[in-house]
Parts: sequence; structure tokens; C-alpha cells
Amino acid sequence: MFKKVLIANRGEPAVRVVRACRDLGIPVVALYEPDDRGALYVHLADEAFLVEPPASYRDPDLVIALARQCGADAVHPGYGYLAEHLDFTRTCEQEGIVVIGPGSACLELTTNKIAALERVRQAGFSTVTASSRAFTPDEADVLHAEAERLGYPVIVKPWSGGRGRGTQVVREPARLLDVVREAAAAAQAVFGNPRVYLEAAVLPSRYVEVPLLADNYGALVHMGERDSTIQRNKRKVITESPAPGLTPAQRAAVRGAAVEIARLFGCRGACTVEFVVDADGQYYFTEVKPRLQVEHPATEMVTRIDAVREQIRLASGQPLGFGQDDVRIAGTGFLCRINAEDPWRDYLPSPGRIGMFRVPGGPNVRVDTYAFSGAEVSVRYESLFAKLTVWGANREEALHRLRRALTEFAITGINTNISMLRQMVSDPDFIAGTYDSEFSHRRLEPAARPDGESLRDLAAVAALAFLARVQAARPITPTAFTSGWHRDSRRLPQ
Amino acid sequence: MSKLHVTIEGHEFVVEVGALPRHDEPVRVTIDGTPVMVSVSSLAGPEAIEWAVVGTHPYELSVDPDLRWIDTPRGRYQIQVRDLEATVARPRSGDGRVKAPIPGRIVRVLVEPGQPVQVGQPVVVLEAMKMENEIQAPRAGTVSDLHVSAGQVVKLHELLLEIS
Repeated sequence: MFKKVLIANRGEPAVRVVRACRDLGIPVVALYEPDDRGALYVHLADEAFLVEPPASYRDPDLVIALARQCGADAVHPGYGYLAEHLDFTRTCEQEGIVVIGPGSACLELTTNKIAALERVRQAGFSTVTASSRAFTPDEADVLHAEAERLGYPVIVKPWSGGRGRGTQVVREPARLLDVVREAAAAAQAVFGNPRVYLEAAVLPSRYVEVPLLADNYGALVHMGERDSTIQRNKRKVITESPAPGLTPAQRAAVRGAAVEIARLFGCRGACTVEFVVDADGQYYFTEVKPRLQVEHPATEMVTRIDAVREQIRLASGQPLGFGQDDVRIAGTGFLCRINAEDPWRDYLPSPGRIGMFRVPGGPNVRVDTYAFSGAEVSVRYESLFAKLTVWGANREEALHRLRRALTEFAITGINTNISMLRQMVSDPDFIAGTYDSEFSHRRLEPAARPDGESLRDLAAVAALAFLARVQAARPITPTAFTSGWHRDSRRLPQ
Repeated sequence: MSKLHVTIEGHEFVVEVGALPRHDEPVRVTIDGTPVMVSVSSLAGPEAIEWAVVGTHPYELSVDPDLRWIDTPRGRYQIQVRDLEATVARPRSGDGRVKAPIPGRIVRVLVEPGQPVQVGQPVVVLEAMKMENEIQAPRAGTVSDLHVSAGQVVKLHELLLEIS
């Protein structure tokens, strides 16, 4: 096992890795920029190194130098930028530092997503059809020609990474360049690489991903599959495992395909093979994510396998030690991404200081977050700040628990998408598990309205609120609005 | 005694309330002639209301500072409150200054000085939290002053442009 692990990440991924290392009894080292002085992962770590700007915790050379300095024999890149950084991984390997993530040999095969499709196609699996190469937004003519060749609708995808950026569908040529520009800007902001590629869209479809674990000696198991179809504002928001609506034969087929495809790429540790499944249950390979994914807690709930612990153990060279039959998938797990944004105001990001932070509890409810009462949600980083995961012995039980947990979750000081999630999980299509890619675009069914008596109660509260407003002669600064811009944003159109 | 007309999702109620208590004590409220005791977390202002117990029914909720909606875990309700005895309508802020609703970086400016704009028309794209956000015109008019350019980093509430 490792002597010491350095975390080259921040926020929730860093908290998750600190926890896994502590559970394994491995000392853990954090890197932080000045803004993160008060961050949870920094305080939970055994050692913490300040990174002074302009250097960044994502700077490969700096991470390697600090690993040497503090005596770490492994680096955990979390599930972000450095987790799929070929040069960084290669340099670490040369320096004798283990990267707890994909090796350079695997990354070379998976980062070229178009070549990866070809590799899988040649092995005899159905794949989606992609453009012949990646593009920058200024290649207008070539982009239009490629989209025509693939046939509309097409999907615009970032060449690097994914990180919850959902797929953007283009249905007509007039919209192509706008969507490409937007996707490129998002990819630039997150990965520093603006290139995008096109994929012929399979619509309507479901987005099914199979997480796997592999050791260095050829043992490889899948951990069921997840459905991450549901998006809002072009980002994944709800994931469930196992995927609803697959027949036993389809389920077995997609899991079996994932195992064979992962072998084609020499995946080690934790990885995920992603598919789209059409209305007939036919699956098409899309890409391999050779790393841990944001959604892994949904899988941990149904398998009771600590994926991060296993990933660290496998990276240290230990054998897997269990077989496919030992992986038992029980019940249903749901995972919601809680974002700092205002879904009622065009998903405007809502950074700021968290006031009250009440997390749901009780049996089979889990919250992964870097946030706490008084924590700062920074404008510099993405808006995902918490993940709510629940488990139930069956889908119905899990649904009740998900609704219950979303009702318990209460946060002030910033806006969140919790109210929208509550509405989503009450939608008939979601309850039935019959949703597909169209769910992400259509209007949500209004939530079940309380009866007349409840409306009467709310009328009483509204009247008191009105009088309180009239009476409030002295200026007040309630906690819910201390971040300031809320007051100003009242001027924005509705 | 105040007599208020409250509309929630199209349902109308007449709510009568005596003087508000000094401290956040339960208040006796009459709704359509039926009295009920109401406790709220605070009467300091609409934003301070985080929970309420109306009769025997507990609620967690938040109220829009401008009293346009109430949020509960079951959804968002459009509300309208009118005091029939008051003659002055509540003021609406409606000036044409567009300020940064969040700190961030200007990615694109979509309008030019002198250009006519419609309500809701995107005028600036602001990047924050790794997302591009369209800032929309709060009212129709003509762009009279443009204070920012692409690439510029702006602070919270910084004036971006003015519409007159």
C-alpha cells in the first residue's frame, strides 16, 4: 500500500479522496490556493501545501514537484482535469509516482475519442457515428459539411473530458455554429481545450454507463449500470442505478459489452464505458471514461463497494480479490447533483456564502459535499457543490426516500436547483422510469398541488409577509440575501 | 386591522390581520371569515420567513422579497397581495441600468451603443462558475452607454450598460 497520497484536486472530489485514504489509514496531503484556505478538504488532510498564484493546483509540474517534496508515492487526480492528462501521467510514471487513475497507455487509446470508436467498431460492437476529426469553432464550412454527412440531428461534444457537461443536440444547420461556439467555450473554460467533435444523434435514447474495476493482472468486473439520461440546462442532474427499462437480456448484453470494451483499452482501476441505448434497446458505444466518475456514489449504494478505496488499492498493485459473482447489485440508487444556480432565472449561477446548511439524514441517505454552514461557494469553479445519493430495496422505496431527502435538504445564502429537483422527481415519466432523452427538453409536469386548505394556509403566510414588508422600516439583511446580488437581480426580467 | 386580498395560483382569499406583534409571537389571522393562529419564524420581512405553522399544519417555505411567489418543498406558487385600503401601489424598480448579477468575465458584448433592444434580449454574455450566462435587457429602449468590453473582468453589481 502507498505511504502517502497527494491529492491534485479541490472541492468535493478532494473530500471524497481524503475520506477514502483515511478509511485505508493512508496519510493524505492536500494542495490549496489562497481562496481555499477555509476549505473542508484542506482541514481534513494530514498536510496541506499552499499554492501561490499564478501557480495552480492543476499545474502538472507543480504537483509532481510537491509530491517529491512531501514524500508522496501516489497522486490522486480526483475526477477532473488531471485525471485524463496524458503528459502529466507520463511524467509521473517516469518519476516513479503512481497516478491513481488511468495509465498513459490506456489514456493514449481513450483520449482520441474518434479512434476509440473505430477500435470498438472493429472489435464487432455497434458504435455511434462520429465526425472524422475534432474541430475549432472557426471551421464553419467543414463543420457544416460534416454535420450534413452525419445527418441531423447531431450532437456536439467536447474533445476533452465530460464532467457533467451534457450533450447538446443540434436539429438544424442554422443552430450548428451557435451550439459549437457555446460547447467550445464551455470546454475551454473547464479543460483549456476548445475543440469539439460531432456525433450522429440517436434519438430518442437513454444514456447508459457501465462502471468497472480492473486490477493490474487481468481481473475485471462490472458494477451494474447507471442511467444518466436526465439533463437540465445541458448538464446531467439525476443518475440512477441500475438503469430502468432494460430487459434482462439487454442488461446482460450491455454489461458484457462493457467488460470486453474495457479490456480493449487496457483499463486499470476504476473506469466507465458509456453507451446510448435506442428505443428498441439496441446499444451503441460512445466513449470510455478511464477514471472514476462524479456519479460513482449511485453505484456504491447498490453494490456496497467503496469505489475510491478499491481504486486506490488496485493502483497500489493489489489484486482485485473478488470475482463478478461477488458483485451483488441490490435495490436502486439515485444520485442528484445539487448546483448553486437559480433554475427559475435561466440557471444563473449563484455563488456566495452558505448560511443555513441542513443536510438530509436517516437510513440510506448520503450527501457528498465540500459545503458546510459558512462555506464559500466560489465564482471561480463550477456550480456543482453537493451530491445527494439515496438507496432503496426497490425503485419505489428509493423514490420515496429521494423525495423525502430532497424535502429535508435546506440551504440559505445561495440559490440551488433543489426546488427543481423536487419537481423532477414528481414527474410521471420519472416516477415510471420511462424517461428518455426527450425528458431533458420538455416542460416538467407541475408538482402535485396541495388541496384548497393548504392554499388557504399559504395565503395567511403571504398576508403576514406583506404586512412584515410594510412594517419593515429599518433596513434588514436577512441571511438568504446576504450575497447581495439577489437584491439587485430583482431588476432582471422575469 | 388590515384587510388584504391574496391570490394564489388563481384562488382568491380575503385575509384579515390585527396589529403585528412586536416579537415573533403567534398571530391571529382570519381567512375568509375563519380564524386561525399562525406562527412564522420571523416577521422582520418577507425574506426572513423560513417556516410557518398555520393551525396544525407546518410548512417550510421562502417568500420572494417582492412578494411574487412562495416556495415550499412542493413547488413554487405565484402570489399577489393587495391591500384594498391602501391607495399607493407598491413601487417597482425599473431603471435601465444593467449591472453584473454575479462577478465574472465578459465573454461577448451583444449590443452596440445606440442600438434598440427589446425586453429580455440578451445584451452581454458573462462567464462565471465555468458557465456562460446571458444577461438580458431589463426593459426595452436604446443602449445609451456601454461600460464594458469582451474579456473584461467585472465585479458584483458593476455597471455593464445603460438602456434609456
